[in-house]
Parts: sequence; structure tokens; C-alpha cells
Amino acid sequence: MARGTHVAASGLHKLFGTLRVLRGVNLEIAPGEFVGVVGRSGSGKSTLLRLIAGLDAPDAGDIRIDDALLVGQNKAARVMFQDARLLPWKTALENVRIGLPRERTRDAAEALDQVGLKAHANAWVSVMSGGERQRVALARALVSRPPLLLLDEPLGALDALTRIDMQMLVERLWLEQRFSALLITHDVEEAVALADRVVLIEDGVIGLAVTVDLPRPRDRGSAAFAALKSEILNRVMGFHMDTVTSL
Amino acid sequence: MTTRSIASRSATRSALNTTASDRAFRKAARVWFGRTGIYWVVPLTILITWQALVMSGVIPQRILPAPSGVLQTAITLFTEEGLAEDIGVSTARALAGLAIGGGIGLVLGMFNGLFPLSEKLLDTTVQMIRTIPHLALVPLVILWFGIDEKARLFLIALGVFFPIYVNTFMGIRYVDRNLVEMGRVYGLNTPQLFWQIILPGALPSILLGLRLALGVMWLTLIVAETIAANAGLGYLAAQAREFMRTDVVVFVIVTYALLGKLADVIARFLEHRLLAWHPNYQKRAR
Repeated sequence: MARGTHVAASGLHKLFGTLRVLRGVNLEIAPGEFVGVVGRSGSGKSTLLRLIAGLDAPDAGDIRIDDALLVGQNKAARVMFQDARLLPWKTALENVRIGLPRERTRDAAEALDQVGLKAHANAWVSVMSGGERQRVALARALVSRPPLLLLDEPLGALDALTRIDMQMLVERLWLEQRFSALLITHDVEEAVALADRVVLIEDGVIGLAVTVDLPRPRDRGSAAFAALKSEILNRVMGFHMDTVTSL
Repeated sequence: MTTRSIASRSATRSALNTTASDRAFRKAARVWFGRTGIYWVVPLTILITWQALVMSGVIPQRILPAPSGVLQTAITLFTEEGLAEDIGVSTARALAGLAIGGGIGLVLGMFNGLFPLSEKLLDTTVQMIRTIPHLALVPLVILWFGIDEKARLFLIALGVFFPIYVNTFMGIRYVDRNLVEMGRVYGLNTPQLFWQIILPGALPSILLGLRLALGVMWLTLIVAETIAANAGLGYLAAQAREFMRTDVVVFVIVTYALLGKLADVIARFLEHRLLAWHPNYQKRAR
């Protein structure tokens, strides 16, 4: 059933001018695995995603997708961006159809149905709410059945309730389709709720990797969930507190 | 005191007596006035004042004929002197110039917006020529082409070129890079990127250029026809001046205003059709 792709990144370095954003990141994603990446803003987590998407090239190190060296754009991957990046001059259905051959229009309608927007297929996306726009973006990302889904803080701008809705939707579709997934987020709870494994990026390297061994769908109120969440959160914040106390 | 109370009582009674259909009619009239009528209050007031001033002799007929006189002249011109043909000639000229100059502006604007090499080679030159008022070239154009068709086409084409060029160039340059990146991630090839993302993204700006160009088009046409022509509306006005026919001159000016308004209506219609997705052009809820 697993049809996700295997991703192996090793020794990734990325510089922006003199700023070293990534310095030797190693990350592996098993086929069908859901990996969450957390870190403070500016820690380089979005940069990591852009490298795996093939939107930028690393200054050192390499990325292998199913053992093939990644050069240029990653054809196996679809990206959900923080802003939905929908084309305002197209309807919801036309947005989902982007880059899809004409004979697969029905797939696009099905994908919209899966995210609960069947009734809005012919609506202009410019009049939709933030949550609906991200649903359209999710349908667009998944309609071509990609082996790898890259999520670049796509839920960061949504209100708390809509965000939980969307997290459940992403989890359900992932369980159905079993693609590999990489979720970049600043929300530790979101990472613990969705990911099989949560890694923390700090100072341009992976500082911590925690396997989340909780049954799905995860109960956010459970003691195990809370313990895991606070363990990771303390680690994210702990670095900061050390600097404060040393002052 | 007594009279006033009687008057107010009868007013109350008549208000109570108004039928439902009467009220509906008044409401419809109010809605019509708010939506359509209000736009005509000022133009109609001006027309009526103008007519009254001329009829009472405050303004002599020779300086400014009354609107009724202008209307009469218009009817004579249309029925007896083949004015429709003059207007047709002028409009065809204007549109041909728009097509030539606008077409070149559109293509060049796209090239310079899309390809940095083309921009580096051409943009400086174009911007330099742009600073010359195109009507300053009239003497040169007459020397080159005389006063025939080519001269007017050249001037109109040159005039409309710049607004369309600049706005196409800017429109393409300011298309959201994030959307273009998204298109690439989702597997669009270069022609698809252009037709599905870059061109629609630049369209609001291109249409703004078209509207500005329409204004320039009429202006240039009038100047070109008044200075150097042997047919068309401007020629009619120039001739009328020779014979002191103020009414004809005023009529031509009014016609220009109407043609300009018509062009604006067409441009607005295009915007509403082509930019139906844009929140600014969607029918307001209220």
C-alpha cells in the first residue's frame, strides 16, 4: 500500500550571503512516513523544505529521492505554501486542475469533494475564506497523487478551530493515500498531532528527533500527548532560557 | 393658527389615503433616481442654464449658440451633409492608429517584461523617446508624410504606444513571483506559465494602459485633423471656423465628448468581462 517516496538528505549546507542557514543537515524520510520539523523562526526549516522541493540548490550535500540524486525541481513533490498561492483569476476547480491534463478534470472535482468543497467548485477563490483557500490548495496538491507532500507552515495563518479541522483533514488523506510527508511548522502541538517523528532544527542542524508513538487519531488531552509536547517545547524554549539566565 | 392645523390635518389624511401601488411607484422612482437619475442632475442643469442664458440674450448667439441650435445644426449635418461618413472616417482612423501603436506597445512591453536582455537593450531608448510630447512632432510629420492618412496614423500610433507599452511592461514585471514559482512546482511549462499566470496577472495593468491610450487616441486625432486633414470631424471644425459657424464648432466638440465617453464605456465593459474574477469588479452585495 505504501507508495510514498524515500527521501535521504545528507550533509546539507545552505548559505545566504554570509549567513549560514543550514550547516550539515541529515534527514531521512521513509516511504509513507510523516515527518514534522519544528524550530524557531529563522532556524532554516523552510530553507530545508525548499531544498527538498528542488526550488533552491544546496551549497553542499545531496538529496536522494528513491536513491536518485535530486537535480533541479523535485518532480515527485507537491508543495503547500504558507499562503495558499491560488490563481485569483481561476475558479476553485480550475485551480485544482493546474498542470493536470484535460481528461483528468473529473479527478479535480473528486479532489475538491474530498476536502469538502464540492459545492464551491465554480466559486472565485478571491471570495473564499482563508480555511477554504487552504483546502483548495490541499486538493490541488493531492489531485496528482504525489508520492511526497511538502507542507510549508500551510496552517499558520488560520484560526485555531479551522486549523484543527485542517489537521484532521490532512491526517485522514494521508492515512488514505500513504504519501510521504514533510511538515514544517512552528506549532509543536501540530507536529505532535500529525507526525510519526518530530525533528527540531536549531542553529542550522538537527538538534533533536523524537518518535511519536501514539495511536491515531491522537487525543490531544491525553497525558502521553501532553508529556511529549512539553518535552519538545522545553527543548525549543530551553535554548532560549539558557541565554536569558546567562545574562 | 387654524389654517395651519387644517392644512396639516389634510396632509395627514392624504398621506393615509395613498394607495399601495402609489407608494410602490414612488419607491421605484426613488430607487431609479438614486441609481441613474442623480448622475444627470448636473449635466441637465448646465444645459438648461445654457439655453436660458442664450435665449435671454445674455450670451450672444454668435459667441455660443443655444443647445437647441446645436441640435438643429446636428440634424442638418447628418441629413444633408453626410456627417455620419465624417464620423466614420475619424473613428476608423483612430482605431487603426490604436491597433498599430497599441499592438507594437503590447508586444514590446511583453518582451521587455519577460526577457531582461530585451529590456536592457530597448527600455532606455523607449523611455527617452517617451519624454518627447508626440504632438511636438507634428511639423516633422507633415514634412515627412504631408497631410494625408499616413501622417495621422503615425501620430496616433505613436501617441497610444507609450501608455500601452509602459503598463504592459509594469504589469508583467509585477506579477506575483510566488504564483510563478507555484506554477513551476505544479508542472506548468513555459507557454502554460505565460497564458495561465503571467498574462492574466498583468491584465488589469494592460487594460489600464488601454484606457489611458483611448484618451490619447482622441486627443491626437483631434489635433491631427484640425491641423492637417481633408476629411473628418476636426476638418469640419476647422472649416466651420473659417465661415464663423460657431454652432458647427460647438457640435464637433460635443461629438468628441460623446465619442470619448463611448470609448470609456467600451473599456469599462472589457474590464468587467475580462476581470470578472477581480474583487473590485464583482457585483456589490448592496
